[in-house]
Amino acid sequence: MNAPRKLPLAGLLVADFCWIGAGSYTTKIFGDMGADVIKIETSTRLDSLRLAGPYKDGKPGVNRSGYFADRNSSKRGITIDMKHPKALGVIRKLIAKSDIVANNFAAGVMEKFGLGPEDCAKMKPDIIYLAMSMQGSKGPQRDFRGTGSSIAALTGIQYLSGLPDRIPAGTGTNYPDHLPNPCHAAFALLAALRHRRRTGQGQFIDFAQTEPMLSLMGPTFLDLTVNGRLQDRRGSDHPWAAPHGVYPAAGKDRWIAITVMDDAQWSALVDAMGSPAWALEARWQTMPQRYRDREELNRLLGEWTAKQDAQELMQKLQAKGVPAGAVQDAHDVTRVDPQLAHRGHWVRLPHAEMGESLYNNLPFRFSRTPVQPTRPAPLLGEHTREILRDMLGLGDAEIDALEAEQVLK
Amino acid sequence: MTSTGKAAPAALEGLRVLDLSGPMGNYTGKLFADMGADVVLVEPPGGTQLRREPPFIGDVAGVERSLNFAYQNTSKRGICLDLDTASGQQLFRDLAATADLVIETFAPGWMDARGIGYETLARRRTSICMASITPFGQTGPYAQMQATDLVGLAMGGLLHMGGYRDAAPTQAHGDQAFKCAAMYGGVAAMLAVTDAELTGQGQHVDISMQESVTLALENAAQTYDLEGVIRQRPLGDQRFAGYGLFECKDGYIFLGSRGIGNSPAWSRSMQWFKDEGMVGAERLLGPEWSDLEYLKGDEARDVFAELFMNWSRQHTKAWLYSEGQKRGIPLAPVSTPADLLENPQLQARGHFVPFTHPLLEQAASMPGAPYVMSGTPWQVRRPAPALGEHTVEVLNEIGVARDEVSRLVSMGVAA
Repeated sequence: MNAPRKLPLAGLLVADFCWIGAGSYTTKIFGDMGADVIKIETSTRLDSLRLAGPYKDGKPGVNRSGYFADRNSSKRGITIDMKHPKALGVIRKLIAKSDIVANNFAAGVMEKFGLGPEDCAKMKPDIIYLAMSMQGSKGPQRDFRGTGSSIAALTGIQYLSGLPDRIPAGTGTNYPDHLPNPCHAAFALLAALRHRRRTGQGQFIDFAQTEPMLSLMGPTFLDLTVNGRLQDRRGSDHPWAAPHGVYPAAGKDRWIAITVMDDAQWSALVDAMGSPAWALEARWQTMPQRYRDREELNRLLGEWTAKQDAQELMQKLQAKGVPAGAVQDAHDVTRVDPQLAHRGHWVRLPHAEMGESLYNNLPFRFSRTPVQPTRPAPLLGEHTREILRDMLGLGDAEIDALEAEQVLK
Repeated sequence: MTSTGKAAPAALEGLRVLDLSGPMGNYTGKLFADMGADVVLVEPPGGTQLRREPPFIGDVAGVERSLNFAYQNTSKRGICLDLDTASGQQLFRDLAATADLVIETFAPGWMDARGIGYETLARRRTSICMASITPFGQTGPYAQMQATDLVGLAMGGLLHMGGYRDAAPTQAHGDQAFKCAAMYGGVAAMLAVTDAELTGQGQHVDISMQESVTLALENAAQTYDLEGVIRQRPLGDQRFAGYGLFECKDGYIFLGSRGIGNSPAWSRSMQWFKDEGMVGAERLLGPEWSDLEYLKGDEARDVFAELFMNWSRQHTKAWLYSEGQKRGIPLAPVSTPADLLENPQLQARGHFVPFTHPLLEQAASMPGAPYVMSGTPWQVRRPAPALGEHTVEVLNEIGVARDEVSRLVSMGVAA
């Protein structure tokens, strides 16, 4: 057997100024994959996820948020007040050792601290600098502000998701924060690291948190620019397949997704239903016919699904080759689903204030390298002293003095 | 390209990627290709599934007309190989002996059954990586279950959160479960390639669409774990009075003026409404408007909606966005795709880039760089390949002579 290998990003140092959603989820990927990610925070302006629930036992506290914890696994944390005149001297030492500087502040904030991309390149000539502001670093609206909810609205995912005759629903979440922005930012950083390995050169990644979401909807824009069609919300309809939708199941707010992508799958579904007379009618036998009258078809199918358990029905339909899935809620994915359990997706890590609490693992497995978060989220300022002393070479007396002067708040 | 001077370097130059994937993975290949990797799309002789997906140019179906295909396969070359034939499999193995990464989305076991699985390919080239993107992963009780995008959203838990509380959940627009798998597929593949470049040893990467979707659950899993509460779909347009979606003259806006305590957004909004002479604004000034419980209630939401929308319906998305931002209020338009094409910030960044296609007389626009990189810019290197466009060229590169390629084509092995 091969010995377990080093994690792919072992040896990399990330000076992580990210906070809240998208930025912290980007650097989590780096921490989980072996980079030493130093999360730089201040108690004078807390990462607002530390103040957002859920909390351990429902009791608020800066070290008790599960929302914060999940986004900050495998990182060490320091506190330093960048508005203090002595902070820059300390941070400069960290950046001089770092491979990556990452932030998702509003455009211009890092420059005010003396930590813009050019400043950091002077501290470390081959630095890779990721700035993930909402609108990017240049342009007439670069100072327009917002949060994940604004980004979901601004990028179109909100408008395009939901029912056509109702107010746009979106995904019910700040979706761009969770995958589109973190994954694209991580990919860009990994590409920049490769370029640096080959040439010795760092670079500046000017990342606008609006753009990856658009990149994921290319065909929607091409339908407009080529065909002149402005797409709209369409519920759970498919562009050409029917039945395709979300149908009621037994219980309160329980549903099943059923998708029939060809005539063979329709026959299999009819068979699973016990070949009721309505389903055998000629009008349902071809895709264009089913699609045209899909509203009626959905109603008829929903009458059949409504009294059945969603998980059992999924198994029954899958056994016949019909793509179907129970609409799983947070209980189902964390406690019921045997596949996520098989993959070890949910990881419990011991945390000083939260006990054993729940983290997402990354959604991939390697054949040789373990993929699993390596430590729980840092307490506020947990590693300040160890990092200043062991990594940046400050003496205990120096650290005490900085503390006394309120620099390390 | 006719640009003068030296072309900018490409971050992924010199990487060779074989992209065998369908709709769950073509975007992964695009991430590599637009950053300069040599990505070869390997299609069956009839073409890959995405060629059959709308929208089509002029709404007419055809293997060269899918805009979905054309978008997700920019910057790639394309060849056709029949991997169900022994000679097709042999050609693929020869090609993989020159490759750094294979991206595939077949059911678990499909590649092995054809003698082109990871272990076989790695025997000839130890540094090769394979990214296998599947609905549920390579092993486990659901590994052989079938999934569409909607099923991926459902099983990953995101579908339950989208839509309206009084109706069935609704899907996210644009095949986002496929995209979740493709994005994490790209990150995972890039990590494996990084490791292979450092150690000389590649590995097999197993990416699950369902698992990728769970990363989109915001705080729902932790909310259940820590507080025992299952997050529901949003109640309606406003989460709190003053926080949510509102109608305006030409559509909707998002307003984030949650009035807790002395929230600056709330006091700035009040000042704005006063300056604008909004009728009835004084009704929002009482002490109850600082009470979160009151703001969650129907009365507060109804009062706010009535007052605000009587005013906002007189103004456009763009005006409200610009005026709200001037006052430091988190307000954003609920953009349509048409709004985004005209968005001045995206225009200034040059976000939309030309889309060229042999069937179009003029270039159209499509989304461009998802990130602006100073040293190694994102760039569309070529339009998506026509069916079999580079078969001769790519097979020549691995030493298959032109007449041999003709023979393979006549046998149906290549196209």
